[in-house]
Amino acid sequence: MLESAAARVSLVFLVLLAAAVILVPLCSRYAYDQQDLGLIGQPAAPDAAHWFGTDTLGEDSLTRVFYGGRISLEVGLASALVSTLVGTAIGALAGFFGGRVDQCLMRATDVVLSIPLLPLVLLLSGMFRPDLPLLVLAIGGLTWMATARVVRGQFLSLRELEFVAAARALGAGSGRLILRHMLPNAIAPITVSATLAVGSSILLESALSFLGFGVQPPTPTWGNLLNAASPWIGTAPWLALPPGLLIFATVLAVNCLGDGLRDALDSRD
Amino acid sequence: MSPGLLLRRLLGAVPLLLAISLLLFTIVHLAPGGPTDVYADNPSVTPQALAQIRIAYGLDQPLPVQYLRWALAMTRGVWGYSIRTGRPVTTEIAERLPASLLLGGTALALSALIALPVGILSAALRRSAVDRVLTLLSFAGISIPVFWLALMLQLLFSIRWGLLPAAGYETIVDAGGDAGWLDHLRHLAMPAAVLSLATIATWSRFLRGSLIDTLQQDYVRTAYAKGHGTAGVIIHHALRNALIPVVTIVSLDLASLMSGAIITETVFAWPGIGRLFVESMDARDYPVLMGLMMLGSLALVLANLCADIVYTLIDPRIRYA
Amino acid sequence: MNRGSAAIAAAATLLLAAAHAAAHAPVHGGTLTVGIYYDVDTLNVYVTAALGDIEAAVVEGLVAPDEHAHYVPVLATEVPTLANGGIELTRHGAAMRVTYHLRPGVLWQDGVPLSSADVKFTWEAVRDPHFLAESKDGSEEVESIDTPDAATVIVNYRSVSPAFASTLFTFGILPKHLLAGKDLNHDPYNDKPLGTGPFMVSEFRRGQYVVLVRNPHYWGRDAAGAALPYLDRIIFEIIPNSNTLGTLIRAGEVLFAPRIPVMLAKQLRGTAGIDLVTGPSLGWSYLDFGLKQVPALRDPAVRRAIAQAINRAALVKAAGDYPRPIYSTVLPVFENLFDPEPDAAVPHYDPAAANAALDAAGYPRGADGIRRRDGRPFELGITTQSGDIDGEIAEQIMIAELKAIGIAAYADNKSGIAYREARYKGAFDLQYGRITTAADPVYSMFYGTHGPLNGRGYSSAAMDAALARMETSLAPEERRAASAEMQRIFARDLPSLPLLSYVSIAAKTQRLQGYVTNPTNMTDFVTIAYWWLAPPGGSP
Repeated sequence: MLESAAARVSLVFLVLLAAAVILVPLCSRYAYDQQDLGLIGQPAAPDAAHWFGTDTLGEDSLTRVFYGGRISLEVGLASALVSTLVGTAIGALAGFFGGRVDQCLMRATDVVLSIPLLPLVLLLSGMFRPDLPLLVLAIGGLTWMATARVVRGQFLSLRELEFVAAARALGAGSGRLILRHMLPNAIAPITVSATLAVGSSILLESALSFLGFGVQPPTPTWGNLLNAASPWIGTAPWLALPPGLLIFATVLAVNCLGDGLRDALDSRD
Repeated sequence: MSPGLLLRRLLGAVPLLLAISLLLFTIVHLAPGGPTDVYADNPSVTPQALAQIRIAYGLDQPLPVQYLRWALAMTRGVWGYSIRTGRPVTTEIAERLPASLLLGGTALALSALIALPVGILSAALRRSAVDRVLTLLSFAGISIPVFWLALMLQLLFSIRWGLLPAAGYETIVDAGGDAGWLDHLRHLAMPAAVLSLATIATWSRFLRGSLIDTLQQDYVRTAYAKGHGTAGVIIHHALRNALIPVVTIVSLDLASLMSGAIITETVFAWPGIGRLFVESMDARDYPVLMGLMMLGSLALVLANLCADIVYTLIDPRIRYA
Repeated sequence: MNRGSAAIAAAATLLLAAAHAAAHAPVHGGTLTVGIYYDVDTLNVYVTAALGDIEAAVVEGLVAPDEHAHYVPVLATEVPTLANGGIELTRHGAAMRVTYHLRPGVLWQDGVPLSSADVKFTWEAVRDPHFLAESKDGSEEVESIDTPDAATVIVNYRSVSPAFASTLFTFGILPKHLLAGKDLNHDPYNDKPLGTGPFMVSEFRRGQYVVLVRNPHYWGRDAAGAALPYLDRIIFEIIPNSNTLGTLIRAGEVLFAPRIPVMLAKQLRGTAGIDLVTGPSLGWSYLDFGLKQVPALRDPAVRRAIAQAINRAALVKAAGDYPRPIYSTVLPVFENLFDPEPDAAVPHYDPAAANAALDAAGYPRGADGIRRRDGRPFELGITTQSGDIDGEIAEQIMIAELKAIGIAAYADNKSGIAYREARYKGAFDLQYGRITTAADPVYSMFYGTHGPLNGRGYSSAAMDAALARMETSLAPEERRAASAEMQRIFARDLPSLPLLSYVSIAAKTQRLQGYVTNPTNMTDFVTIAYWWLAPPGGSP
């Protein structure tokens, strides 16, 4: 189904990554927050005992990178889910009902779209210091607009199709129409949107953590691992390379996958 | 576009701005702790002085009244006083804005310079190896975390090779003096490069897509049939129309100049409004934070408006009912 | 050896000797680039909440603490003491009068002569309730000031105050001719202070830099009679990002950086051309107990258990082995006040005892190893200043150590103002912080019932009494006895847990000479007039 080689490679990479972030922390002999008193003070270079080296607290970097991957991916997926759900709901309602409802919802979308994203998320994180669930809600709650626009467009055109009129004539209510008849037809662009949202959520969360907001240590995320590693970039680059490369690779893979999906689904129509 | 339509669009922006300002005001005042924190914990500040400050900042009024006072004042150009420094918010922002504009402007110019040929090349050589490589590079450009790239560049160009200054706006020579344009260029190089990467990637992708669509249009096929070469067709016929959809994202990115590049300015110690935002966050300097957010939002709203206007000017086929 | 080469050898030796001598003689001129790690919002030393590095180069006080935390005269001709008659007891020993004689020939940087009216004006301006300043210490205890002539200042105190030189008049004298009648909260002085010091403010670009230039009329002279300061210019670059600061230091763009984070110091170790200078500091790191917010912490047994859970060795190691562990709030460097007896020390590391104590106090462990308090997990938030990388590392270590005794601690960091508010109001469970004091620490600020820095809400009549005796007596023996008692009460009550004696680390180019560290809150720049830069590429 997926034509592009890049998309196929990306899928394989993401599956392997998902497996790794689950298995590595389980199989590791170190807990992610286990400090080694003998190694506290300075990051230690990779060796047989610690394949990725240790950080300033003597914690095993390999375990932390993959445990952090789990958190980053969870936040990314959950935020993308929230963003997609909210965006789909709003877009569907706007596109289906049209008229006043559409105007009102699109106005609301305009308002949120007109506020610069990173400053707004920073402002919220800085002021309220959210825990993980709230962070997911914050990120998801501010990135749904693109999905909403796409879904609205889909519903506006689907509304005019014959099968909708037929279903309505058979007595189907609005809710049933939206959920059973129209939504399944809009799944394709929603899936693409959702995939791309994962990438931007991961980047947003890591930017927040890098600036010192978002998830706090000892719980690792790729973003706050980079934050902790950045003072050591000249003298201990092995700390900063894995999380940075993994963010890059994951987001790249997600984007290639999303693009491949879009091509595949487009050509199907 | 008729003047009547223009006026209606402009007026339509007003309730939008009001809604934004209300939203921001609510968020900022919901936060735990208020703007008098900076004095409330100061043991030397007497309760009388504290009360005076509250009156001066209008904090003793009920919230809706505070909002109205603030909103009215903003329209008059009075954006309040910074809690941190006691100076007008407009002064704080105006002082730092030029640096951000310089950085952002350079980044955008750089982006245009590179994105244009890359986008054209990608579209013209569609599905070739060159296109695939350029596409992958574009994806890489939007996937790379900005802070990581900034750190890597600093490591290479400043620490390892000593080619470029690590941070800052300029080498300070004399009070008020200048180190020359070359010095400015050297300080600008890395932050502008980092900042432009994502926009180069998005613009070139957009242009590629738009150009591909345009190249499939009838009038283009006609041009080919008339015997024009590919380059000629692209440059003389297709490009202008292909650029239309790109206008929207370009204008949005232009507007982002008014928000400052928070991460880039932090890593490179660039004295712009992005850094001012983070500093004000630390200090809970709400007047400045509100001013900055409103500025950014204002810019975005205006950018959308301009994009709409430019659309109708460029393509006379687009009409608004 | 023939005559020619002998001559060359002789000439070479002479040259070497001359170069050697020259290399040790201060060089006049040059620009020192200083990297400061915090943001500068004001240049008024009384207003700023940060340490006044820049101000110390521009503004002078009557006296100042030297590198041994002993006061030396600056604008005064000598430090007033009981012995030289500068301090007299009045009202039968219940109050005191301090007399200063001003140094002759001192000019403000705009040419106007310094006079006693300026000193009196400084007191009036600082204590004015409309002036919103952070550092008003010492202004309330003054009852009145007499200025019989332009060179004499007589300060009449309401009480006896051994720490009279801490803040007022040491931080700096304000110019009456410039500021009389002005609103100090908004005056341009805050951006461009006028002082009598070796340097003048030339330019202040917010968020970027402050440029100071040499004061050509400075009164100071070195031992050889040459005019001070040696340097021509100082540029303070504002770089609140540790990475960037490190990069600039390594690249040689910043020649001196005071009080750098230990993290940065560790990375700079071994860099060619850079020296790391550790200075003793009148500061210490501590863990405060939030008595207001957590009822469980009001039980001294719980506080003692937490104290026994902390292994200072790990904290020292994490801080690059720079600091030393301490077990009293009075630093050992205060030889006349520190009591080394064991019963004046807070509990040492003993996790077994801590676990036993918590078991006995009724906090059973749950299945996950965390103790239960009223059926819910025993959790405590630790608050420190976010962005303080050294503090955050220390916090992580303590979180792990508390987990070992069954308390689930988590980071609850706050930034800037919110952090200060939490400190002052006691809105924290546990608080990790660092504090640097003046040469005469006033402990009642921290532990007195009405102490402004006693956010945690600790109150003890016995402690108040001991502190009062310590702080209203000028007799050393009496102060020592009161201090010993204060430390005993402290060890018993444990309002706070002193951890490490904080060390200040500065990074400097090897070219910088004449630099001495200053442990007080007056900063190293108190001696800036004597610093000089050896030319690049030359010895030493």
